[in-house]
Amino acid sequence: MNDDIILDIQNVTKKFPGVTALSNVSMKVQRGEIHGLCGENGAGKSTLMKILSGVYPYGTYEGEVFYNGEELRLEHSSIRHANELGISIVHQELTLVPSMTVGENVYLGKEPVEKKSINWNKLYSDTDKILARYNLDVKSQAVVRTLGVGKMQMVEIAKALSEDAQVLILDEPTSALNEVEIKKLMEILATLKANGVTIIYITHKLNEFFGITDSVTVLRDGETVTTQPTRNLSEERLVQYMVGRQMKERFPKGNRQPGEVIFEVEDLCAEDPSDPSRMVVNGVSFTLRQGEILGIAGLMGSGRTELVTTIFGEYGKVTSGRLILEGRDLKINSARDAIEHGISLVPEDRKGQGLVLMQSILKNISLPNLNQFAGVFSLDKDAELEASLYQAKSLAIKAPNLQVSCNTLSGGNQQKVVIAKWLMSRPKILIMDDPTRGVDVGAKYEIYKLMNELAERGVSIIMISSELEEVLGMSDRVMVMHDGRSNGTLDVATATQEKIMALATGINSHNHTSN
Amino acid sequence: MKLAVPETKSPDKTSSVLGKMFRQNIQTYAIILALIFIWIFFAFLTDGNYLKAQNFSNLFRQMTVTAFLAIGMVLVIVTGNIDLSVGKLAGFVSVVVAYFQATIWTRVLPDQALAAATLSVFIGVAVGALFGVLQGYIISFLNVPSFIVTLGGMFVLNGAILLVTQGKTIPANQPYFSVIAQGYLPVAAGWILASLVVVYLYFNMFRSRQKKRAHGFVLSNIYLDLALTTFFAILVVGYVYIVNQYNGVQIPVLLLAITSVIISYMANNTRFGRYAYAIGGNRDAARLSGINIRNNIFYVFVLMGLLSGIAGVVLASYVGYGTIAAGQGYELDAIAAAILGGTSTLGGVGTIWGALIGALIMSSLSNGLQLLNVAPSWQYLLKGLVLVLAVYADVTFKKRG
Repeated sequence: MNDDIILDIQNVTKKFPGVTALSNVSMKVQRGEIHGLCGENGAGKSTLMKILSGVYPYGTYEGEVFYNGEELRLEHSSIRHANELGISIVHQELTLVPSMTVGENVYLGKEPVEKKSINWNKLYSDTDKILARYNLDVKSQAVVRTLGVGKMQMVEIAKALSEDAQVLILDEPTSALNEVEIKKLMEILATLKANGVTIIYITHKLNEFFGITDSVTVLRDGETVTTQPTRNLSEERLVQYMVGRQMKERFPKGNRQPGEVIFEVEDLCAEDPSDPSRMVVNGVSFTLRQGEILGIAGLMGSGRTELVTTIFGEYGKVTSGRLILEGRDLKINSARDAIEHGISLVPEDRKGQGLVLMQSILKNISLPNLNQFAGVFSLDKDAELEASLYQAKSLAIKAPNLQVSCNTLSGGNQQKVVIAKWLMSRPKILIMDDPTRGVDVGAKYEIYKLMNELAERGVSIIMISSELEEVLGMSDRVMVMHDGRSNGTLDVATATQEKIMALATGINSHNHTSN
Repeated sequence: MKLAVPETKSPDKTSSVLGKMFRQNIQTYAIILALIFIWIFFAFLTDGNYLKAQNFSNLFRQMTVTAFLAIGMVLVIVTGNIDLSVGKLAGFVSVVVAYFQATIWTRVLPDQALAAATLSVFIGVAVGALFGVLQGYIISFLNVPSFIVTLGGMFVLNGAILLVTQGKTIPANQPYFSVIAQGYLPVAAGWILASLVVVYLYFNMFRSRQKKRAHGFVLSNIYLDLALTTFFAILVVGYVYIVNQYNGVQIPVLLLAITSVIISYMANNTRFGRYAYAIGGNRDAARLSGINIRNNIFYVFVLMGLLSGIAGVVLASYVGYGTIAAGQGYELDAIAAAILGGTSTLGGVGTIWGALIGALIMSSLSNGLQLLNVAPSWQYLLKGLVLVLAVYADVTFKKRG
């Protein structure tokens, strides 16, 4: 089956300082097929697609990529070079200008120009042609802001196709779509295929591969595991390929004895603030015991971050549900309420939400805790420094002093500062959203040890993690989320990566297990 | 980057304190150098008249109105907001104060000059603060951007000024009231004040060292602390010496100094101030740290209104009347002073002392150019150039560093 290969990736290796994102990846894509690409978070899918789209241009990686039989040499200077050659990508996040019309967005940066001014008639009629050809149900003069997410996705596709794309890459296009919109998208992809467009389709929802793809490539830890025709595969097989590796001793053994249940979440529901018809947290219930580490697994877009920010009082509208801490109902409307009740959150986006980067370590650690040092008119700065030093020391934050601003610290040390600031508030429940993301191995181990110590002291921890090994290595129980729901809670003694991945990809979402 | 293991009991490494201070405050030092350069430049062109006691004294007096506005503006900009109404608010306060003196107190409180002057001050400050409450409420609780609210406020106040003055100039030159911006401390009082400040500086230095010792921190080098304290003591004594050659310590400058100490203390040593900087530095992180962003920004605007009220009172006393053009363009001077002093337009960064030096630079330029009889057109041109040049120098310097 080596008939007509449009894209041939051979032994591509891409290194970042300290990390090898791709190592000897090879992949062949046939002309006119829909080629699925899957792997865990961090398996290297995005890096590979960034090489194909020119974000990492020719020369910044090792190995070869052949496109239509010739080596692909994307220029450094122009991010649009790949587009011009016929390779287009639709990113996971929408990249449209909401205040502009569909036509303006489709031709943004490549407007048809006549005598130095934009030919609007041509722009709109060309847009209409693209929309009609691929059966996209949007109007070229509609303002993007007025469209739903599903239609915006269509505009993204039209934008990608406006350059006569031969290869279209879709990076998790369904993560923000509802069932009807997904169905419509699948129809569009079939039309595109019928028109001879080759599609590389990335998704975390494994069932989507089976309706539509011709073959699937699996990546794991930056390496190619296999490429197979879809008809030879099953979801279970895919999961095995995705996780099939040995657990190493990377997690310090704690000596935890979880106590009584101190925190209960009952049937929590929350709407997407930008789209009230979509429930991002949809009837989640769980319990948390004192001194327990509860892992929350789930793929991106499964609602895990939304769940914990909802509990923390900082997400969209809560439509129903109860939070019960130590037998009492909680009303949490803001982070302030949560902190007062002894709930702290180490957020997912360390730089964007965890730290005031330009400020010193000292000011960051004490920020939520200034009440502890406040007199009537002033702050006791010496006490503040002493308490912050204590935290910095116990977390082994590596810096010459606490006046150093946080933007000079490494990822691991920044994360320690975020943790320090919340430890100073002496929480009963510490929620950690992907606490080791972008953290080097050594600092990871220290964070794990710290989590064990905290749990042994009776702090209850909720840990979201994208790494299955981490979830299994650190948790007492694992709740797996899929599509805004808890798809089951597993005891860590009996949980396996395969079981978690099966729940996370929604394979047995019908036989709902719950704790 | 390799970072050393922390010396946990040492907040600062003594050996590098000076170097670190310099690096952290690079813009402050650059701006002080610019100020000294401007002074020498004008002193040279005016045969030394520029730095003679009388002009030196006036120079500081001239900056006070802008400086009151600028120190408030620092906090507004630090939280990521802007206030375009402060010039007109100060102007409005000045005409209201003038109106009370010219038409109300003469009827209600005849022959009670001191009470009338005192009440004028209270009313002026209260009007400023109330307007701050109003604008702050709309900005923080009704979610209208501060740029829009204060732009609207500027128009509203302009109308209000015309309403109060009816297009006429109202005198505000009652003797007690004039003292606020035109009075001087007796020479002896100036010296007593200077001595008290110097004693306090040394006392504070030793007390702070003692407290640090009690907490078990490694102390910075005593000679270094002494040198720094002595430097500030010399500045205070030198200043009083010079202004005493003329009429003595200027009352408005004294008021400004006291206000600045209070606001600077609030900015650095209270939750209110620390939250303001955190909000401007990273709004999301501040929110997730449990900070009540709305309340904080509300109070920043109330404080800005209050300071505009003080500025308006000083303005009325300084010029001796309320006019329809009162406060025209002062908001831009205040913003320029804050930015010259190192306040970042992106929020999160800025100091009160920097803004004071910024205001001093602005008034030093105006004063020098007036002394040289340069036409107002060129004065504006030069001020604009200096502002852009200063920020450009800062941007390039930081990029290299």
